[in-house]
Amino acid sequence: MRTWEDFTTIEDVGAATKQVLDSLESRCSGCEFELWEDRWKAQQPQCKFGLEGVCCSLCGMGPCRITPKAPRGICGAEAAGIVGRNVMRMVASGTASHSDHGRHICHVMHSASPDGPYRITDEKKLLALAAEWEVETEGCDIYDIAHEVALVGLDDYGKPFGTARYLTRATKERQELWDREGIAPRAIDREIATCMHMTHMGNSTKPEALLRQAMRTGMADGWVGSMMATDFTDILFGTPIERITEGNLGCIEIDKVNIVVHGHDPAMSEMIAVAADQKDILEYARSKGAAGINITGICCTANEVTMRHGIRISASFLQQEHVILTGAVEAMVVDVQCVFPSITPISKCFHTKFITTSEICQIPGAIHVQIDDEKALDQAREIVRMACDAFAERDPNKVFIPAIKHHGTVGFSLETILKKLDGVTNSFVDERQTYKPLIDCIKSGVLRGAVAMAGCNNPKIPTAYGHVEIMKECIKNDIIVIASGCAAQSALKAGLLSKEAKELAGAGLRRVCDLADIPPILHMGACVDISRMMLLANRIAMDWGIDVPQVPVVACAAEWMSEKAVAIGHYVISTGIDTFLGVSPPVSGSPEMYKLLTEDVKNICGATFTIETDPDKLVKAIVNRVEEKRVELGL
Amino acid sequence: MSLFDRVFSGADVMLSVAEDQLATAVNDLGGDAHVTFPNTAYFLSCIYAFLAKEVRTLDDLNEALKAIKELLGREQKLGDAFSNGIATALLAEVIEGVKYAYNPAPYEGTPCHGHMTDAEVRALGVPLVTGDICGVVVLANPAPTVAEAVDLIKDYQRRGVYVFLLGGIIGQAVEAGIQMGVDLRVVPVSNDGWGVAHIISVVARAAMIFGAVKAGDFEAVVDYAFHRVPAFVNAFGPLEDIVVAIGAGAIALGFPVITNETKNVWSVPKSLIVQTDLAKMVDTSLEARNIKVKITNIDIPVSVSSAFEGEIIRKAQVHADIYGARVNAFELVRTKDLHEIEDHAITVDGPDLDAVEVGAFMPIGIIVDIAGKNMQEDFEPVFERKIHQFLNMVEGIMHTGQRDMIRIRISKDAYAAGFRIKHIGEVLYAKLKSDFEAIIDKLQVSIITDPAKLEALRADANKFYDKRDERLASLTDESVDTFYNCILCQSFSPSHVCVVTPERLGLCGAVSWFDGKATYELDPNGPCQPVTKNKLLDERVGSWEDVNEAVKKHSHGALDKVTLYSILVDPMTSCGCFECICGIEPTSNGVVIVNREHSGFTPIGMTFSEMASETGGGVQTPGFMGHGKHFIASKKFLKAEGGIKRIVWMPKALKEMVHDRLNATAKTLYDIDDFCSMIADETIAEEDPSAMMTFLSDKKHPVLEMDPLEY
Repeated sequence: MRTWEDFTTIEDVGAATKQVLDSLESRCSGCEFELWEDRWKAQQPQCKFGLEGVCCSLCGMGPCRITPKAPRGICGAEAAGIVGRNVMRMVASGTASHSDHGRHICHVMHSASPDGPYRITDEKKLLALAAEWEVETEGCDIYDIAHEVALVGLDDYGKPFGTARYLTRATKERQELWDREGIAPRAIDREIATCMHMTHMGNSTKPEALLRQAMRTGMADGWVGSMMATDFTDILFGTPIERITEGNLGCIEIDKVNIVVHGHDPAMSEMIAVAADQKDILEYARSKGAAGINITGICCTANEVTMRHGIRISASFLQQEHVILTGAVEAMVVDVQCVFPSITPISKCFHTKFITTSEICQIPGAIHVQIDDEKALDQAREIVRMACDAFAERDPNKVFIPAIKHHGTVGFSLETILKKLDGVTNSFVDERQTYKPLIDCIKSGVLRGAVAMAGCNNPKIPTAYGHVEIMKECIKNDIIVIASGCAAQSALKAGLLSKEAKELAGAGLRRVCDLADIPPILHMGACVDISRMMLLANRIAMDWGIDVPQVPVVACAAEWMSEKAVAIGHYVISTGIDTFLGVSPPVSGSPEMYKLLTEDVKNICGATFTIETDPDKLVKAIVNRVEEKRVELGL
Repeated sequence: MSLFDRVFSGADVMLSVAEDQLATAVNDLGGDAHVTFPNTAYFLSCIYAFLAKEVRTLDDLNEALKAIKELLGREQKLGDAFSNGIATALLAEVIEGVKYAYNPAPYEGTPCHGHMTDAEVRALGVPLVTGDICGVVVLANPAPTVAEAVDLIKDYQRRGVYVFLLGGIIGQAVEAGIQMGVDLRVVPVSNDGWGVAHIISVVARAAMIFGAVKAGDFEAVVDYAFHRVPAFVNAFGPLEDIVVAIGAGAIALGFPVITNETKNVWSVPKSLIVQTDLAKMVDTSLEARNIKVKITNIDIPVSVSSAFEGEIIRKAQVHADIYGARVNAFELVRTKDLHEIEDHAITVDGPDLDAVEVGAFMPIGIIVDIAGKNMQEDFEPVFERKIHQFLNMVEGIMHTGQRDMIRIRISKDAYAAGFRIKHIGEVLYAKLKSDFEAIIDKLQVSIITDPAKLEALRADANKFYDKRDERLASLTDESVDTFYNCILCQSFSPSHVCVVTPERLGLCGAVSWFDGKATYELDPNGPCQPVTKNKLLDERVGSWEDVNEAVKKHSHGALDKVTLYSILVDPMTSCGCFECICGIEPTSNGVVIVNREHSGFTPIGMTFSEMASETGGGVQTPGFMGHGKHFIASKKFLKAEGGIKRIVWMPKALKEMVHDRLNATAKTLYDIDDFCSMIADETIAEEDPSAMMTFLSDKKHPVLEMDPLEY
């Protein structure tokens, strides 16, 4: 029998990449390109002022750097104000990114038609949302309802008055707190604009004011833009259900046209998937000598399509260059966010077509096909044909595909989770469609609590080490893990999303896995789907009759790197969930700001950030916090 | 106090009782005093299964106690709650072991059963797979009222759930006069909570017997119980900590606990369920363990359930006694064309039960006519034998025998409840139709009680029996081109496969070649699949390439090859629920055969249980072979080693059972008269082979002239 310890080591997770890199010299001796590993080295040591957040370049008088000798910028801003403004700008950028992705999905839904490329898949979810938003449905065509709901959603981006519609999904206590503390978000665009305005030269430097606006802006991300992206994507392309997938570079197939989709917004990759399944396109691929078309994904686009279609995940964020180095990728098709500009030079060493598709993400040297929602399928067909043409140009001498991949079970939307929980109810005793079975498991001590693992990969942490080791330790301690983004992909590559991974769990979680037929780590989707996690925490609190901060649930971004992660962190603590960071945000230059984020913010929202860059210490802190929350509940 | 704290506290209570009692016993009896449970090859089987410790003396028990204490970790995690729970059951076994050290039959003279023998455990195998026993419940503590206790027990019994009673509910059952016993599948185990050891012992032995789990493989025992033993617990409040600890052990094994207690309990989905409405207790429990009850609604005035199969109706209780030896009585299944019969027509020709003299013999002819596109004459005996099972399932009816040698007793209670002759027809119609719906399209039952008509009908029936016997006699392994495998038992013995041939029925005795064929017809994707026999490898030992391929496939690779006629070369494996075990007796170069019911020693110095523990669980053990009783008289029995001439010893009762047919086979094969008289039994020799050898040479047993058996 295979032993789990054997293949969940970090070396194993990284083995596919290592094999690709080790074989590189013999395959591509004439090529000249660098990889992120090289650039990471070249960037050392990284700028101390940047790391600590005390470099201000917001106006033309600067840049100003805070040192003991020069404790204030030219305008007189102190470290706390500078750090606070810098962080808030990260939150603004992160919120803008998620929300603009959400806005695009709104537009896609507004363009949906029964004979267009985009159609309504989950009518039930659409009707429920229409009811929630009081959109008339009686006797209406489903597409008319979709268009109306899309307009109502878009209204939340720029409405002149009022706060976000989705907030009523939270516990009463949360809603009151958000109002009281002034962190209930208004229109998304307004919160981003307010951030930019507040941080303009000559405006706010008061740390708490900056923090509160950062939280309100983060809330606009999690409770508006991201949540809308999640809901509308489910309506358009289907609410995720339980599926099997695979992950790692071994998902690339030698005899097929390999198309790798990358980015975050799935609208285009959904069309690629449809196109690649069409008979004439398949025949075209065969005419070029391929056995078929293999679509795999990277980053959160991969999470989106794997949750809904089981499309496999060939690479996570830090493997985006490595996947091309297999020499067997005909096209990398990207949408938005987290795309390395370095893909251009690397793809040029091979036959790989690097195709950008959104005006948001335009890169020198890439083929740009600007997607028009009305014509998306035709454009996707053209892209797939381009990939088929490239197949003929593949150089077999340059190909190496490591035979490494792991399978896992994905698709844990709230709907899937409720279905699993219904499966362990007893119809003579229990209600269905509640989170009570999960609550009972926590109350009785069978499960100690839950951890939401999210975020990216970051070269500052040996790849996936943070995610994988923390997850293993959590499940060993009977703490169930929910995961999204590249954290979930690390779990997949380590085999932790498979049901067999229950063997690594403590007796309590293992029994839960057995009875509910789930893996110990539940893949909930892309980074926008952290909105699902927020709803999960709130609904558990509601069914329990307590508020979110009391629930033994915490969040962890062990390897975060993007500004979106900073926005996420702010809405997660605003929702009342303690958040553990494995990479320090640029705040250490201001002890005042550091204390505000790691201690005093609790007075505002009931949760804090914990910053600890040693993964082993981080997970101990996580387990301890979960147990503390149990003690506070008298469990 | 958390749920886990209650478990820890309960384990501590059990520990202190165990320590006290063991210390006292060592003081009273000495450390080398024997500790044994009767008729088992598995020592104190909980301790043996979980810790691989072979307890024989009180000193051994002390050693075991030390190992058990290691399981008493105290972290607030389910893992420790589970290991404390299992430890509680093991401690209970220590206490029960002490009890048996003082007195080898401590439960004699009480309503309680105590230890279950290996034979009793093995007998559970077949009914569990066929679904006749759909689950096993442990009722612990007294129910709130005697009436509720009775309702629960009866309800479980009616639905085919095997019932263990533990603690105060036994007194309630006794008070209400409920009939109890292993045969009735209601077993009062012990008035003490530590009696639970005898129940967990059944589970532990099932894992070792059927699952081939190695002693000491803690995880494997738990895994077997969780996935293959459909047990659950009903514990009535108020719950003491010790009961909570026992419950944790049950839950650790995958057995949900359903309780009416609301104070200081925590609901845990599918594991610890609070149900305060006792009327819903049974349904709640069955759903908790995912048990689906095979229900056939039969509109008759008494219950129909496999639980009543073991019911005995004594003379004083008899309203009508149907007995083929004294009056004309027979049962017959015939194949008809679809247009010839009317579905569900039930006719009674002659006087009904109201007209018979109470307690007197009553004549009857039961003729079941079946039509169906998939019906074959070969299935007639299969269905006919089902009459025995189905009538036995009726509360207040006892059925034995077959053909025109049947005996059916109908009790006074059944009669008083409104049972009449036509209800026999209703039961047969409903059960046959529902169990064999893929074969039976139409079925009618004619029951004749008019004595004037029965003489001729019985003679007609005998023509059918004779014809069938001719067909059976001509049916040999050589005359058919297909055998059947049977993997019915894989639900609890995952790597065992039976190959069933006309001359070798399944080792459980329940699946003949015809049964295999009918089962395949019934469900072409089901547990019995045709096995071709085109590629003969060795005629002597009975091995075929295609049979080997089938065995490899259906054992999921656990087994490469089997022979059908040899005990030495790749003998067929067993699930563990075989009727008989055959083992080589080296002094005589022969074999002994012992049936499950026989608890004494054999001349090879082992009991049935000990011999049986050598094989089972799909493991191939040359020199030992499990088989059905019927196989003993087969011309293919041990054919490779010289055939039935090798049989030197059988228990007397078994010898009587196979007497006529075995003698007939010996006559045909070797022209030996009265071969059975040459076979020794326990009245001649028990453990001592020399007494047997003297007997064999006196009788000139043919084995003495045979070549030695060589491995």
